Amino acid sequence: MTETTKERVVFFALGVPMVMCLIVFFWILAILSSGAGTLNLEILTTSALQGGLFEMIVGTIYLLLGAAGIAGPIGILAAVYLVEYAPSGKFTRVIDQAINNLAGVPSIVIGLFGFVFFTTQLGLGRSLAAGWLTLSLMMLPIVIRGTEEALKLVPPDFQEASLALGTTKWRAITETTLPAAAPGIVTSVILGIARVAGETAAILFTSCVLITRGLPKSPFEPVMALAYNMFVRIVAIGDPAESVFGIALVLFLIVAVFAIIAIIIRTYYRRRQPWLR
Amino acid sequence: MAKVETKNLNLWFKDNHVLKDINLTIKENAVTAVMGPSGCGKSTLIRAMNRMNDVISGCRVTGEVYVDGKNVYEDGTNVYDLRRKVGMVFQRPNPFPKSIYENVAFGPKIHKIASGKKLDEIVEKSLRGAALWDEVKDRLNDSAFSLSGGQQQRLCIARALAVEPEVILMDEPCSALDPASTARIEVLIRELSKKYTVIIVTHNLQQAARVSDFTAFLYVGELIEYGDTEKVFEDPKSELTEKYITGKFG
Repeated sequence: MTETTKERVVFFALGVPMVMCLIVFFWILAILSSGAGTLNLEILTTSALQGGLFEMIVGTIYLLLGAAGIAGPIGILAAVYLVEYAPSGKFTRVIDQAINNLAGVPSIVIGLFGFVFFTTQLGLGRSLAAGWLTLSLMMLPIVIRGTEEALKLVPPDFQEASLALGTTKWRAITETTLPAAAPGIVTSVILGIARVAGETAAILFTSCVLITRGLPKSPFEPVMALAYNMFVRIVAIGDPAESVFGIALVLFLIVAVFAIIAIIIRTYYRRRQPWLR
Repeated sequence: MAKVETKNLNLWFKDNHVLKDINLTIKENAVTAVMGPSGCGKSTLIRAMNRMNDVISGCRVTGEVYVDGKNVYEDGTNVYDLRRKVGMVFQRPNPFPKSIYENVAFGPKIHKIASGKKLDEIVEKSLRGAALWDEVKDRLNDSAFSLSGGQQQRLCIARALAVEPEVILMDEPCSALDPASTARIEVLIRELSKKYTVIIVTHNLQQAARVSDFTAFLYVGELIEYGDTEKVFEDPKSELTEKYITGKFG
């Protein structure tokens, strides 16, 4: 085989999976958009009691923002500790490995843990709060890893300069490292949100019900969510899959909005981070 | 008068004995150059004076470093006050990703030295002190990264001046700069020595000869020679110094 033929073969071999991915992607888009016909502004804003999706959409957003509110601060602080303070030793390596393992735990197992621990033992019941805590467990490894990467990208020069001016290490971190890493940190939190947005298993036993009267009035009330609703409609009620595509499309759009926000933040701040060049 | 003095200073990074029995007396309001081949411990020596080596794990120090007659390695030394008094400029210009103004105001703000009008005055004074004011006075709110390398380094000097230090340590401040910027910084160093005690690390012999009043020659962690710059360059006591100055090694 000549070099040119080899090159062509490689090019083809690399191109095929790429094209396959594209086909699958557009297929999914086509299926989702077939649900578009069932959607209109009225359905989105009407209560579930009247056959709308309002509580499910708001409930999903409640769940995501609440989980981010828990996993965000904890994950960021954990990452700061691991990158800036943790002594490099056996203990740190164990923690590091535990975080990787947490990321690999199947969501149904996390859901089961949430059910046993938050719902039952902590007595939160089937509630928004139990859902937040369970989902935050799934977000944590993503936030920690993403924040760690963002912190490591910040040149150590900033911290050194700050220390040389007589600041404490914590001050140096909060004044120089964290602001410089902020865009990466925000992105990692949003990626965490996107990761759990379609999560069903984790909220299955911990916080969701099929129907509520209006939105939850406190974190200790159950909530409706898009993913859970799709699951129940298909598995329990036996609705034809097509009828659920509309809900799937809404969920897809919510995830897409979060992803787009992440991209905007990243591109906006990248221009203001000349040291990344 | 002695501003900084080291006595039997030894320093290790883990098992690596980096500084060996350094005895050095540094005169006030003068420029002292520390020269020597790469890896001889020059930077480590000046970083021992504001205890910036402390942040490196595995660093161990014996002996004493006196600043104004007070041993900075004594228990109970406030390293934050020490570092305010003994400022530092690094090899690579390292301004914060903030505006020019905010870079200089950083120290005074954190130490709550001043705010408002008073802070503006400190920023102007510091930028003037670093011979940068005329170039940046109309764009104080621009990013520090919009400045050239040489300007960035002078900004870093201004930032150090803003917390009113008495000693300024400079760790090869010109090694990342072009000749023109280097020349400006060298003029500035001479100027600064009227008010501050400047200790500059350099592996550039000409630079040491041009800017310093006193020169120390360090070789593999040992202080080989120390004295008037003129003397060290024209009539070195040690054969090693002579070889280094004449370019036989280094």
